[in-house]
Amino acid sequence: MAESKVRVLVGTRKGTYIVESTKARKTWKVGAVSNPGREIYHVVSDPRHPGHLYAAVNSGFWGPILYRSPNWGRSWEEVTTPLTEPSKDRKPMFNDADPTAPVPRPVQNLWHVEPGHASEPNTLFIGVDPHFLFRSDDLAKTWEPVKAINEHPGRKDWGPGAGGACLHTIIVDPRTPKRMHIGLSAVGTFRSDDAGEHWHPTNAKVECPFLPNPYPETGQCVHHVALDPDDPDVAYRQDHGGMYVHHHGMDGDWERIGKVKGGPKDDFGFAVATAASRPGRAYFVPLTGEARTTPNGGLQVWEWNDPAHKWRTLMSPRTFAGDYGVHREGLACDRLDPAGIYVGTTTGQLVLSPDAGRSWRQVPFQFPGIHSVSVA
Amino acid sequence: MLREFVPTTSLRSDAVTVGGLLDDLERRFPRLKWKLRDEAGALRRYVHVFVDGVNVTRGTALATPLDGTHSVEILHSIAGG
Repeated sequence: MAESKVRVLVGTRKGTYIVESTKARKTWKVGAVSNPGREIYHVVSDPRHPGHLYAAVNSGFWGPILYRSPNWGRSWEEVTTPLTEPSKDRKPMFNDADPTAPVPRPVQNLWHVEPGHASEPNTLFIGVDPHFLFRSDDLAKTWEPVKAINEHPGRKDWGPGAGGACLHTIIVDPRTPKRMHIGLSAVGTFRSDDAGEHWHPTNAKVECPFLPNPYPETGQCVHHVALDPDDPDVAYRQDHGGMYVHHHGMDGDWERIGKVKGGPKDDFGFAVATAASRPGRAYFVPLTGEARTTPNGGLQVWEWNDPAHKWRTLMSPRTFAGDYGVHREGLACDRLDPAGIYVGTTTGQLVLSPDAGRSWRQVPFQFPGIHSVSVA
Repeated sequence: MLREFVPTTSLRSDAVTVGGLLDDLERRFPRLKWKLRDEAGALRRYVHVFVDGVNVTRGTALATPLDGTHSVEILHSIAGG
């Protein structure tokens, strides 16, 4: 955490907001909007370069544009946006002659920016629609496609999720830059042990209720994944097909914790997060599977206690009554003790707890619909 | 809206097609690159091109010929919400 401030970075349907407080997290100041009118799918800070923020800006008018702030959001500059190989003859790309052949497609939207490992301070990753992963080793001056994913032989069978063919989750193992995990809508998760040269699917025993084979190797609609802060081999997964935990680096079977007695009635949702000061815990926002809004008449955050193998709810639905949606990047935790937990809703409420869920308050500002919440 | 990327509202070009005109604009104003067209060469969704007042976006589009006497306007739809 830089200085004595806590900064919540909020990406919305209509721009980026930086919301600041002290470490007490009692009162909050909402800064002026940046990139007004544009969809901000993800805003993130780079802890290796204090002050650096990245915003994945998507515009129906201008297409996808990556922005960086060098000064905690006071100003922003456009940096190089990763693109697919431009068509040399400028003709639209399609291949009727061989529908199974890989067809280069333009980048539709930028979904997730991830700073690289601490030992590689100039490395960044970005996931985009159409299920592409790019890597930069010069802080976004240039980007290279991660071809092992972008030209994966299974791509002909990959389809989009409801939000698009998004590569939305990128995790670099804090122990080594060689191990990475990625999540792709309607495809699933993959792991690499050689910095992206090779990938293998990691979806065993994650249910696909919408496919004839409910447990395929790929095809799961993973929504988000978070690693345990103390043990990177422990992962928590919010999938279309439920809530899961894995204890072995995502190799082998996942365990469905969403059906553990005492848990949420419906284990659908989009977001999952972990907190540095709460090892062995994961936070979820359950949604109903059909309406994709919060059940029981109000916003709820649930905590999974992995060592005890049990659930508890952190919030009565009467606290924030209503029917809320929360996107996959709409839940985050800070690194303080007690942990701060932050929820951004699709109807523009930013709700937070400064004390690991014991109490909750809402930032008194009506945001546009929130896509992304992260904390710096 | 284009003024964020192009500091002028009118200019002259020797391009012989609409596509060539966009290439010329992108050379002169590098920030405009990829903003009007995607990597596949297609005009972005809300971009419309008028040649002498006629919308050519869904017709001859980028292949529309120009001979130096035409007036070309590049506009964005007022769309979204």
